[in-house]
Amino acid sequence: MKAVLRLVLGLLIAAAVWQGAVLAFGIRPHILPRLEMIWGAVLQAPHAYWQGFLRTLIETLIGFAMGAFIGVLNGVVFFRLPALRDMLLPIFVVSQTIPVIAFGALVVLWFGNTLMAKAIIAFYLTFFPVTVNTLLGLNSVDPRQVDLLRSFGAKGPQILFRLQLPMALPQIFVALRLAASLSLVGAIVGEWFGDTTGLGVMLLQAMYNENVVALWAAIFCCAILGTGFYALVAWVERRLVFWGAEQ
Amino acid sequence: MSRSTWRGIIGTLLVLAAWEGAARGFQLPAYTLPAVSDILAAAWRTRAALIPAGWLTMLEALSGYAVGSLLGIGFAVLMAVVTPLRGPLLPVLMAINSVPVAAYSPLVLLWFGIGVASKVVMVALAVGFTVFLSALAGFDRVDRRSVDLMRSFGAGRAAILWRLRLPAALPLIATGMRVSTVRSLIVAIVTEMLGAYGGLGWIIYQAVVQIDFVQVWSAILVASCISLAFFGLVGAIERRVIFWR
Repeated sequence: MKAVLRLVLGLLIAAAVWQGAVLAFGIRPHILPRLEMIWGAVLQAPHAYWQGFLRTLIETLIGFAMGAFIGVLNGVVFFRLPALRDMLLPIFVVSQTIPVIAFGALVVLWFGNTLMAKAIIAFYLTFFPVTVNTLLGLNSVDPRQVDLLRSFGAKGPQILFRLQLPMALPQIFVALRLAASLSLVGAIVGEWFGDTTGLGVMLLQAMYNENVVALWAAIFCCAILGTGFYALVAWVERRLVFWGAEQ
Repeated sequence: MSRSTWRGIIGTLLVLAAWEGAARGFQLPAYTLPAVSDILAAAWRTRAALIPAGWLTMLEALSGYAVGSLLGIGFAVLMAVVTPLRGPLLPVLMAINSVPVAAYSPLVLLWFGIGVASKVVMVALAVGFTVFLSALAGFDRVDRRSVDLMRSFGAGRAAILWRLRLPAALPLIATGMRVSTVRSLIVAIVTEMLGAYGGLGWIIYQAVVQIDFVQVWSAILVASCISLAFFGLVGAIERRVIFWR
């Protein structure tokens, strides 16, 4: 509750600084429009913004879900097969230096200009941090606890689901919070390859029309989507990792 | 060399061989997956365009990286020293940071034009926040009792910052700066693709428009090499400076 209050207070301060600066220094709307102008732009076409918001949200969620699942799976496989990890992890690292947007052009070509192509780009950005943190978390499990479970006759999968994965959860969630932000970036950038709906498209259209008010409106939508998704993941984390390593 | 290094080399070679084999064996068209050898050949053939473009992108990324790191550390120090500033300033910074960096690209292009300035600003923004957040976390990590101890010996704010907080924060700052290296290049390229006079992003954009995907891959190759070198360099400096880790 206190965190929510602080957030609202922070937003109010930020809004006051913005509005105050625009009014006091007479900043031209080309640089910073007044807040009510941006609000007005959204109200003029609420349907378009809602459509764009939903579209980007779905791409983000699908990409995030795939990235989280494959990432954890990869982490477990690498943990069980160290030889495979040594062979493939360097390539994963190198693959992360590829600028998404260049990769985006290829993905759109491979999967067509579909929702799936954007989700794949979001996935590409998210699976790597999840893989690395899952591996880190699994490796940090106390071997004595594993030995204890094994002495009671626990099998590999049981040890994995009862001990190792729960112990790795705090680490995994650190990556999932990061992935929440990254998957949104992937969805936005993915839309820059000639899509017709979505927040990324609205950003580009506003830029080509030099419409700063619409640009800010789209930026705010991205901020709401990003913050909301991040908050959701953080909330799930507090629920699931109630013993909490770090908050 | 250790066993894991050897495995890494073998794994890389195997993947490259599988890539080459798949591209050649299945006769994959270049827009699906060009063969590795074709990419290397194209990179060599178009080196006259790729080298200046890589150079430009690297300079943009490095300048933005330097500006962003300085600003990030500077703001974190400011908030560690002048604690009353934290109340009003932190929420504003957090509000700016809540927007995914990519969403700012169109705005920054409108504000700063499609020359070098917009790329430097974007990289500085992306790097600055990463470094700022890790530096702030680092400064806050200091044990309250250590601060009290130093203060009881008559140390001033500056001394506490220099002798206690900064060394404690350095590992985190370094991690933030190391992560930022790869990001700085990616952000520069992303911004270049939206509008630029040159650079790797510009080459990639043009190659996409001309459906020349071997050229896209060769530009990606150059970009990856630069970011790996940058990452390695910062990592090596980090190991030198933070010897106690």
